[in-house]
Amino acid sequence: MRFLPFLAAAIVWSTAAAQQTATPPAPSAAQPLSTAAERVYDHARPRIVQVRTLLVAASRQSSIGSGFVVSADGLVITNYHVVSRFALDPKTYRLEYLAPDGTKGSLELLAIDVAHDLAVVKVERGGLPYFTFDTRALAGTLPKGERIYAMGNPLDLGFTIVEGTYNGLVDKSYDERIHFSGSINAGMSGGPVAASDGRVVGVNVAKAVGGEQVGFLVPARYAAQLLERARKGPPLAADKAREEVGRQLDAWQAAFYDALKASGFRTAAVGPYLGLESTAPWITCWASTNADAIPRPRTAASTTRCSSTAGIFVSDSILTGRLDINYSYLKAVDLNAFQFAKELSQRSRSGENRRGRRMTAQECRDDFVAVGAAAPALRATWCMRAYREFEGLYDVTLLALTQDRDREALLASITMQGISHANAVALGRRFLEAIEWGR
Amino acid sequence: MGTVMWVEVLGRDGEVVARARIDTPEARIGRAFDNDVVVNDPHVAPHHLRILRAEDGALVAEDLGTHNGLYAEHGAERVGRLGLGRDPGLRIGRTTLRVHDALQPVAPEKPLTPPRAHARWGAGLAAALFLLILLVNWLELTAEPSANLVVLPLLGLTTVLALWTGGWSLASRILFGQAQFALHLRIAVTACIALVLWDQVSETLSFALAWRALVEYGGLGAWAILGTTCYAHLRAIGPRHMNAVAGIVMALIGTGAAMQHMGRWESRTQVGDRAALGELRPPALRARPLASADEFFGNAADTRARVDRARLEDPAPGGAVEAE
Repeated sequence: MRFLPFLAAAIVWSTAAAQQTATPPAPSAAQPLSTAAERVYDHARPRIVQVRTLLVAASRQSSIGSGFVVSADGLVITNYHVVSRFALDPKTYRLEYLAPDGTKGSLELLAIDVAHDLAVVKVERGGLPYFTFDTRALAGTLPKGERIYAMGNPLDLGFTIVEGTYNGLVDKSYDERIHFSGSINAGMSGGPVAASDGRVVGVNVAKAVGGEQVGFLVPARYAAQLLERARKGPPLAADKAREEVGRQLDAWQAAFYDALKASGFRTAAVGPYLGLESTAPWITCWASTNADAIPRPRTAASTTRCSSTAGIFVSDSILTGRLDINYSYLKAVDLNAFQFAKELSQRSRSGENRRGRRMTAQECRDDFVAVGAAAPALRATWCMRAYREFEGLYDVTLLALTQDRDREALLASITMQGISHANAVALGRRFLEAIEWGR
Repeated sequence: MGTVMWVEVLGRDGEVVARARIDTPEARIGRAFDNDVVVNDPHVAPHHLRILRAEDGALVAEDLGTHNGLYAEHGAERVGRLGLGRDPGLRIGRTTLRVHDALQPVAPEKPLTPPRAHARWGAGLAAALFLLILLVNWLELTAEPSANLVVLPLLGLTTVLALWTGGWSLASRILFGQAQFALHLRIAVTACIALVLWDQVSETLSFALAWRALVEYGGLGAWAILGTTCYAHLRAIGPRHMNAVAGIVMALIGTGAAMQHMGRWESRTQVGDRAALGELRPPALRARPLASADEFFGNAADTRARVDRARLEDPAPGGAVEAE
């Protein structure tokens, strides 16, 4: 069994409308921390809204999230993933807010930031009380361990405040995320997280599935930046939102692969072979082996899996932005060359083929390649599928198997999600060229 | 032309049930007992037909003014006179007759299959097939060896072979009169060997040439082998109506292949290729020259063209994005 300390941060979002009646917890004896929470809650209550995505045809909610007012003229910050259905399909969905005082109204989508999972929407109301951002958070000087308060409407149970701890930025993450030690649940997405003085330090966005009380926040400065953009720029036309998402995904992948290149590569030994390894801190690697398997395996395998923890929510069925590089060094223990080839066929087949109309069917190309005079011959397969909604973005898988030995081989694969063709070819080429017999 | 003729009365299944030698220049045929050839068929008139010789000596059938009339063996139109020079068959009532001139040439003798030859061949090929399957299974064995891996496929194969051969033998017994079990077994075993070899050859070629489609459409080759096998079984049963039966068999096989191919095609357009290296063989079996990195990525660019085309052909649902 493989152990992962950090399972993919699942996006907090839910259509579940909880049916049980929420009874407020009995106020405990006066404690300083709880007093702070009460104060923050009182301050926040008129400034928070529930952001609902409604199905136009049924006029009923199809997903819910939270948002918070950041200007007197009704600008509200929420998560992109809370409004993604509307952004990608404005004919089927519409947006509505529900304030704690029971007022409802439509929302206008002004700006989105897909990479940081943020959106600015506008409430058609003036003179609202609003949140301001914490200057320490904007400057990144908030001390670790500070009590902070996440707010939102978890599971549609009602407006809730959750006390937790600021734990700085997540290590080994390409996208900046605040590690919040506290419970974040579906429906709280897009809600504010405030310091004890009521100023916003971040935005609820995700939790770690398989962890306890491990939540993630978008740092406040990205919210402040997007707000600035929304104020200055023209509002996002409903029928242009999808193009904008595509443009931002393209910009994100360009920046990501530039950063990957800038942080450098080294060759890493995988058994007697060499393979490509990124030195970027946000690429984490894990190794596994079948050496301890019983009965004794007929093929010895040692595997290295490296992946970026980056992942971008685009829509309910599209999570993109991952990079995976896997190497398996395989050596026949008592298999002959044919049996070993069969074993390799089976191992190369592990990649599942995603169904779904959001992507085109996958197209593959097989060949034998020698990238250099001294490099081992490779059996390589290049596979691509395109995103139907976003031009110029692809999921690319490149598999390579060394062909220089009969009974041992390096099986290498790289999977690049949401990448441009040029970037995929550049990294794919580097990946193939790095494969060498190292001993 | 000679003076002797033979009249054959055929049974329902086309076998000769009675044969009469006629030494007179003319033969009379009908249900009445004063005829030269008596036909026991209620739809035949007491005096139905006479066979005589034309001036050039060729045999001619002539209707004696009956109600049900005279037809060529495969003809649909009633005739009063029928020349029998080219086609000796004719139909009266529900009975088929053939009239042969004694001087008509017959085919030379067919060489006799040596006794038990099919049985020997069948047994030999079956042994070869079992060894071949053991060899293939062994070459594909990557887990711990176990007796089940050997026994189960052989047991399954034996059952299928027995049922298949039994079915054809039964058909042969009914239609031809002889079961010819050994011959059908020999055909079936040959087909199995061909299937196993085709499978291995297509996989090996697919690896050697890095040609994915060969395995993907290898099923068509298997269908072709199946078609050929059915044809061979039918030939063994008997050559009568061969063209029609062969046509029907080919149509069935073609339909099966087309339906399988259609399912394949549909899943291909929806899911596409699998990101896998396919069936691999030892590196020494590579037949395709090594490409350079430039060539590889250059060739791979056509996958981009194909997915881009697929994207435009079936645009995303929802908003009208590409409208402008």
